[in-house]
Amino acid sequence: MDALEGLVRLARKAREEPTPVFGVAEAVRLRILSEDQSPESVTLIPLGLFGGLSALAASVTLALAVQFWSYMTSPIMELVAPLPEIRLW
Amino acid sequence: MANAYCQCWPAEGTIESPVALLYNTFVEPVDWSDVAASVQGDDEAYGRLVRRYEKPITSLLWRFTRDPVQCEELVQQVFVEAYFSLKTYRGDAPLLHWLRKIATRTGYRFWREKAKGPQETSLPEFDVLEEIEAVEEDRIDPAEAATVLHTLLSRLSPDDRLVLTLLYFEECGTKEIAERMGWSRAKVKTQALRARRKMKEIAEREHLLERLGWTL
Repeated sequence: MDALEGLVRLARKAREEPTPVFGVAEAVRLRILSEDQSPESVTLIPLGLFGGLSALAASVTLALAVQFWSYMTSPIMELVAPLPEIRLW
Repeated sequence: MANAYCQCWPAEGTIESPVALLYNTFVEPVDWSDVAASVQGDDEAYGRLVRRYEKPITSLLWRFTRDPVQCEELVQQVFVEAYFSLKTYRGDAPLLHWLRKIATRTGYRFWREKAKGPQETSLPEFDVLEEIEAVEEDRIDPAEAATVLHTLLSRLSPDDRLVLTLLYFEECGTKEIAERMGWSRAKVKTQALRARRKMKEIAEREHLLERLGWTL
């Protein structure tokens, strides 16, 4: 006989084992009551709002990054270009 | 018969829907009425459901632990979880199937939690085999057979153990195991193949057949 066949025979016998009876209905009712009465967990920022804010922040960051990138592409031009906001004389 | 129930089912598209009841061939009307009442907060109705299905759920969870205290705790967990998930029960399978799914996952979680902690020494536990004399299959005590099988299976990882437990103890097919666990059928088949191989190695290493006197 194969070892696995032996296990199958054991399992067949094991299925005949009587199962304990606990009578959990009352305990379940009490647990449900206690969980129902427990204060609700504080809902943090809803996921949609959090996602929206993250997207907005990412857009602003991207816009600024693009501007600064255009400056960075030609730093020599930055040296010779007049600064429009500052009067030099 | 079904129309009689429809009188008291208010909202359409929810579990209380008469449409769901009319087209439902899986769920016993008595279960439907108790589920609907439980969703409305009727404790008594849920108590009836618990009493109706406690035995098969205990029987299933007895495969996950042989400690009566732990088993009772798991049974309670299953019914508490089921109560809070009752609104999601669509009735596309008998209530017992749905409860068994919750119970299987609860048992699996229990094993995984247990596997994280320090492992039990398995050799003293394995001494149970020493107590079994070479006897005919019919003369083996079912409780002893269950303990031996449980001890052998406890040497496997939770995934392997789950698949073999459901295959051997519960006589589930791979499709049913996949449905219960939300796994693909291919995963279950591969897992079962691997688990059987490991189980065979363990059984041979422990000389299971010789100890049981089943070598002929």
